[in-house]
Amino acid sequence: MNRRNMLSLLGISPALLAGESLGAQKAKKVEAPSSAGQIVALNPKGLPPPIQLVPMAKRLNSLEGKTIYLVSDGFPGADRFLAQIALWFKKNMPSVTTVYRLKAGAFADDDPKLNAELKANGNAVIMAIGH
Amino acid sequence: MGFPTAPMVTIAFKDLALSNAAQRGMPHERICFTPHPVWGKTDEEMYAYLEGNDPVSGRPLMKEVIGALTNPLTPEELKVGEVSVSTGPETFADTEDNLQQYYIDNGMTDFMQIVLPTQERVAAMLKGTSHKPDEMVGKMAPARGSYPEWSYTVKQVAINAVMAGAKPEYFPTILAIAASGLTALSSSTNSFAVAAVINGPIRDKLNMNYGIGAMGPFAQPNAAIGRAWTMLSRNLSNSGIPGQTYLGTLGNGVNYNNLIIPENEKASPWTPLSVQKGFKPDENVVSLFVGFSIAQGQGGVGLGVKPVPYYHQAIAYNCTPFGPLFGALIVLDPLVAQGLVELGYKTKEELADWLQKNQTISAKDARSTLFGSRWVPDPKTPDDARIPYYQRPDSYNFVVVGGQTNPYHMVANMSYRVSVSIDQWA
Repeated sequence: MNRRNMLSLLGISPALLAGESLGAQKAKKVEAPSSAGQIVALNPKGLPPPIQLVPMAKRLNSLEGKTIYLVSDGFPGADRFLAQIALWFKKNMPSVTTVYRLKAGAFADDDPKLNAELKANGNAVIMAIGH
Repeated sequence: MGFPTAPMVTIAFKDLALSNAAQRGMPHERICFTPHPVWGKTDEEMYAYLEGNDPVSGRPLMKEVIGALTNPLTPEELKVGEVSVSTGPETFADTEDNLQQYYIDNGMTDFMQIVLPTQERVAAMLKGTSHKPDEMVGKMAPARGSYPEWSYTVKQVAINAVMAGAKPEYFPTILAIAASGLTALSSSTNSFAVAAVINGPIRDKLNMNYGIGAMGPFAQPNAAIGRAWTMLSRNLSNSGIPGQTYLGTLGNGVNYNNLIIPENEKASPWTPLSVQKGFKPDENVVSLFVGFSIAQGQGGVGLGVKPVPYYHQAIAYNCTPFGPLFGALIVLDPLVAQGLVELGYKTKEELADWLQKNQTISAKDARSTLFGSRWVPDPKTPDDARIPYYQRPDSYNFVVVGGQTNPYHMVANMSYRVSVSIDQWA
């Protein structure tokens, strides 16, 4: 499934994410499946929260000489996979320093201590998420 | 995170990763995909993944990773602001057959026919509670912390209760379940199941079945309340979209209407579960559990001992496949509970204490499981040390239910989550 279809399924307008205003989306009328119905039934859906768009962090000009943190969220195998990425950099981009860290807490939890360490010592993150 | 980041996800979770990124405000997040799986592959196989292509873009994977961290940002990637999410029109109008198919085709059911939620039926359901239709009931997500939480009103819960075939008198129990915020359709790859234990006079008021076949399809309140939990989880929290908000690889038949367990308080020699959780015996309470699923308990060691089988040993034996991720919910026919009393377990707590001390696993075996470091955190622990399955006796919970046709029990690798007053939603 492509990103556009995915957003439509989620009820998120791809056009809006590309620049259309919130007001313009609200003004659109959503059509019922048929106008010739004999029965009117209610929509059972709950109330999703609005999405707050988050700008992505500024990118690096190059990875040469930089320190990249390899972060695992704790799923089985992620530590070994990240070790292979460290090996890849050693072979192919030896000026890159890699540092492995296991994020604390449950899979989706924030790890403020690790964030502080990244801010102090790192330039970028490669994060293995899930299996 | 505030740092240039390249998230890496396996191709099996592409839809989940893309939808989650969009819902968290980064619809253009630079996710890099590897082949699947990673878990269980050798180091050489994993390295080969890195030397190959990203299966989504078709370009070399490590080039994608480096590009994710170094390519200049586009205007779309820098966008800020708020985006609303539509869940469609308030009503749908069509013939009955077309509407039935419409609800199924749009993922609003359990893929079986529903009771169409007309204005009249929903109004009748709302008479089952004193709460106002627009009152907020709670928030729910397919997995707490991993997905945005949706919120919902009394009326929206009522719509789902109608669809599940519930009567208005069942509605306070369904509202109490909804208020817990616990989805019946957890997103985990494990195909989890849930259980609701119901205590108090409401069991008789609703004619709930806590006798023969209590957990089976033999009573309308048991069936409809359970089905409503699945229905509202699907519609009020966006749970249960395969590939996006549901990843259970095998699925679980229990998810159709869940384990609804009205405790057989009359036949039980022990304190009701709700009283153990701090409620009074005359309060109506639903207590919720989540975990892997439930399994039969016959064939355990000790069941052939005479004159009273060693049910405590059988329970410990039957919980052997359990892991430390969830606790134990033991479902006992009253004959088993009475047998345990004869063996000296005058309370549920005494039985829990015995199990906590005696159900153990060797450190070596525990280390070989997926969650070995959770079970045996100290690397100095000797291999032959015996490790309790659970650190606390209250990880074991017991419910007495059933029709006494034989002294059987079942064991569920499930953890207690919360108890909610049904009376507060009357």
